[in-house]
Amino acid sequence: MMDILSSFSFQIVAIGTMILAFACGVIGTINVLRQNSLIGDAIGHAQFPGVVLAFMIVGTLDALSLLIGALIFGAFAFFVIQMINQYSKISLDASLALVLSSFFGFGMTLKSYVQGSSAYGHTGGIDDYIFGQAAYMLRADVNIILIVSAISLLIFIFNYQRIKIFIFDPVYSHMIGNKPTVMNALILVMTIGLIAAGLKAVGVILIVNLLIAPGVIGLMWSKRYLYVTLIAGFSGLVSAFVGTYISTAYVGFATGPTIILCLSAIVLFSILFGTHGAVRNGLMRRRHAA
Amino acid sequence: MEKLITVDGLTVTYNEKPVLWNVSTSIVENSITAIVGPNGAGKSTLIKSIMGMVEPLAGDIKINGQSPKKMFDQVAYVPQKSDVDWDFPTTVLDVVLMGRYVHKGWIKRYTKADVKRAEEALETMRMSDFKHRQISELSGGQRQRVFLSRAIAQDADIYIMDEPLQGIDVVTERLIMQTIHDLQQRGKTFVVVHHNLATVEKYFDHVIILNKEVVAQGTIEEAWTKENVATAYDESSVTL
Repeated sequence: MMDILSSFSFQIVAIGTMILAFACGVIGTINVLRQNSLIGDAIGHAQFPGVVLAFMIVGTLDALSLLIGALIFGAFAFFVIQMINQYSKISLDASLALVLSSFFGFGMTLKSYVQGSSAYGHTGGIDDYIFGQAAYMLRADVNIILIVSAISLLIFIFNYQRIKIFIFDPVYSHMIGNKPTVMNALILVMTIGLIAAGLKAVGVILIVNLLIAPGVIGLMWSKRYLYVTLIAGFSGLVSAFVGTYISTAYVGFATGPTIILCLSAIVLFSILFGTHGAVRNGLMRRRHAA
Repeated sequence: MEKLITVDGLTVTYNEKPVLWNVSTSIVENSITAIVGPNGAGKSTLIKSIMGMVEPLAGDIKINGQSPKKMFDQVAYVPQKSDVDWDFPTTVLDVVLMGRYVHKGWIKRYTKADVKRAEEALETMRMSDFKHRQISELSGGQRQRVFLSRAIAQDADIYIMDEPLQGIDVVTERLIMQTIHDLQQRGKTFVVVHHNLATVEKYFDHVIILNKEVVAQGTIEEAWTKENVATAYDESSVTL
């Protein structure tokens, strides 16, 4: 066990995924409480063509360039979703499904073009962004996760009271001088940034889980928003550590999916046995009825 | 009496349909003014305009001679219960503390004095025993008391309320109206969207009858007539 803990590659991957999962857990509580969890999923998928295009322009899998590509496409996809909602009668879930699949389809088309063309060199790494390949994380990838997570968490901490009022009572929030457009932009910057930073570690398909699962866990154990965010953050962090450890210790376990599996196990446990979970609620209801 | 809030030629449209049409009215200082009118009359839009939350197509609103956007710390708002996410994980005291938000600096850290002010407000609304209660566990009347506590904790001069008596118990209704009258004695002004025509006379001293345009306005004696109400509600027989 000590061998693994002291190995440099384990440390890099563990630190990267733990910080990412902590930040995603904290920020993701906003999406869970505002009941727009699938926006994260759509944005994650929509960032994939941005990654491939950035690779086509730069010619290498440079972490920063790919991040910028992902950010641009994440923001673009969100803009498209907003436009569809504003100017058509299509419901939010339909527009999310549309944007998710068409952007991802565009990304896949670009990917197969790039990989089939002799003009581009080393293209194998692009696949890592679909399912994630945390084991191949480099120092540069971890640095990006560190910086983006730090920025997101700082935005969250400095705007904690604002965000809380905005989720609970949007009209009052507007009334006391917080413009909804500004609040939405803040939340969007944090969400798109974290998704883009986490793509290489967990991939476009699974990244939404890091945002949503910890928030659900938090809500099963506490009815105070501060504790919900902390529980969410730490359940992400612990899952990332355990998942990375298992995938390093046993051959054949991919890191990203193993982390998601750990989170899912905690979600299941929490929904059943959490202080606000199904069993307790069921018992309470029976007691009230009796 | 002084005019505290003036609305001049206000027109608001939503999706190119007029919601308010050339509305000119005023709120008298230290009054308890009801805004009454049928569904879709623009009552909520009018109070949201007064709070600077709606961009009007035309018209001008002044609170104490200032633009509403500069006066938000002096206006306390009691929203409709349905505008709020009641499953949000927070306690009663936490919600009331939000009233102190406008007095805080950039980081918005609440001090002991803020907590004390919030607890006093809860005491006024007889909700002290519930201060650590989860908001999802409250009844309709208790929720309304929490909102009014939040408004009281803000120490504002003007209270704007959107149907505060909708769907609450008799005890809470009496308590809310008693509190409003007590606060009027201390110089506060109230603008209240109200739906129950039978209690307008009993609870309010001024009224604005609205149906996209101003149908009638003034003191209850001047404006609250059967004819005016019938005009607003487009019915020949209305029982007051």
